[in-house]
Amino acid sequence: MGLADNIDIYLALAGALFAIGTFGFLARRNAISMLMSIELMLNAVNLAIVTFGAFEPALQGDGPIIALMVMAVAAAEATVGLAIVIAIFRNRRTPLVDEYDAMRR
Amino acid sequence: MSDLATIAPFALAVGLALLVLAVDIAWPGRRGAVLGTTLVGLLMVAAATLDVGSGGARITAFDGAYVVDPLTTFLDLLFIGIVAFTIVFAPDYLEPRGLPLGEFAVVLLFAMTGAMLISASADLLVLFIALELMVLPGYMLAGYHKTDGYSTEGAIKYFLLGSFSSAIFLFGLAFVWGLLGTTRIEDIQAALTGGAASSPALVMGLAFLTTGVAFKIAAVPFHYWTPDAYQGSPTPVTGYLSVGPKVGAFALVLRLFVEALGPLSADWVQVVIVLAVLTMTLGNLVALTQTNVKRMLAYSSIAHTGYMLVGLAAFAVGRLEGLEGLLYYGAAYAVMNLGAFAVVGAIQRRAGVTSGLATFAGLGRREPWLAVLMTLFLLSLTGIPPTAGFFAKAYVILAAVQASQAGSAALGVLAVVAVLNAAAAAFYYLRVVVYMFMREPDSEQPVLAHGRLLWGGLVAASVLTVILGLLPGPLLDVVGQAARAIGS
Repeated sequence: MGLADNIDIYLALAGALFAIGTFGFLARRNAISMLMSIELMLNAVNLAIVTFGAFEPALQGDGPIIALMVMAVAAAEATVGLAIVIAIFRNRRTPLVDEYDAMRR
Repeated sequence: MSDLATIAPFALAVGLALLVLAVDIAWPGRRGAVLGTTLVGLLMVAAATLDVGSGGARITAFDGAYVVDPLTTFLDLLFIGIVAFTIVFAPDYLEPRGLPLGEFAVVLLFAMTGAMLISASADLLVLFIALELMVLPGYMLAGYHKTDGYSTEGAIKYFLLGSFSSAIFLFGLAFVWGLLGTTRIEDIQAALTGGAASSPALVMGLAFLTTGVAFKIAAVPFHYWTPDAYQGSPTPVTGYLSVGPKVGAFALVLRLFVEALGPLSADWVQVVIVLAVLTMTLGNLVALTQTNVKRMLAYSSIAHTGYMLVGLAAFAVGRLEGLEGLLYYGAAYAVMNLGAFAVVGAIQRRAGVTSGLATFAGLGRREPWLAVLMTLFLLSLTGIPPTAGFFAKAYVILAAVQASQAGSAALGVLAVVAVLNAAAAAFYYLRVVVYMFMREPDSEQPVLAHGRLLWGGLVAASVLTVILGLLPGPLLDVVGQAARAIGS
């Protein structure tokens, strides 16, 4: 049984991608970068879903369908998110979230 | 009943959203057409909901992915009521600012379809898609005043934290699905009852699910987005956001934790107790220091989440009354909080008026009726009889006391913390009343003319607040039935 047949490798990769996305979301100040980090997290989820679908015979049918649903949701989320980023960029002329502090002053 | 007949209320709601969109395109800017279509349509959706749920039995559709039980019926009617109130209160705020009503109604109706789908989910995947269907329109509504810096700032914070938490929730969902091999809530319950809970990966999945949900209900320490999103949003939207997505997220909690993860309640109740204590206490303490009424109500809404979690904790240690209290709280909180935000919005009818505490100075003399109604809603939020808020708090705290008498010491502590918090909250609610009746305004403000629709909505909200406080019986029967549908 080679490395590529091991479900744990793929799940660990998904976990690592998710962690990178989480770190990016927490560490970045740019709204676009934060949006990209969220997309990375959702892709990690999709990798985990496809992995389960490929390795568990009982889940073979469901895996790709759930992954497709997640992709659709991610696309809808990105659309709304970019629209909001554009709207705030027009008001503030900056994509940096820590300058969005009008209500905390 | 056929599948299509079972989903009729949901299908009607989607159809209504599309119809209102068509009406707005056909007769642009016609406020009466949009309002009339929306309100009549909501009545029809409510009638369909009552019709499908009238038997009180559990009906499933689409191979068990969609369920209608008394809980679904109760929550759907609550969502419909929340959206109806929001629509009625919105025009007086939107029009002076030149914001279109048609798109507002459409986006709001789509959010309602998401909330209705959550309450009818019997499948984790449906639950997730319904959740997204509810929150995505919420982000759009938060940024509805797109030329206003505050509104867009609130929207981006709401959006970023909201999608972050959705991703966390989904990661947990993927692992629960992968390890248990099913997304059906029934099957998950059966698998967990059979003792499949020992794997560390599954525990991790459950932890992610819990974190994601805690963000959605704005429980401390996952509440950072709430104050800015609520303060920045246009006031009618804030009213909606503080009750609609909150009740929706609690519907998610009921379907996910009470139903699917019910066999593990001994494990998650610890987390719920800690979250409840933190949420009540921090929400109230920070609310004490706020000088902006919208921001104050945002922190108070965090505190109310804490009280609802007390009901959940009481249920988890075996008191069905806790669940009844939670549902009663949801309904009472929706009515009184929407009413309070409607008054704030009415005062802001003149564009440019802030929701600062100073705006409320002298309101009792300037617009006595508004001030009296605001006082009623604030007393209800405090929990003073005879208002809806009193019984709401009484039921959840009573359930916690009963649980502690049955031997759960932690619930006794929780009940004491809840009572102390309710007392502390009186301070900041009553401070607004003091400003309205006992402070003179810095500068004289004009008396504003409010629409008949707004007055009608305010009267309805205040009558409901008093009726739920005087005659809690009928609603208690309904929530009792709803609680038994999932809790026994």
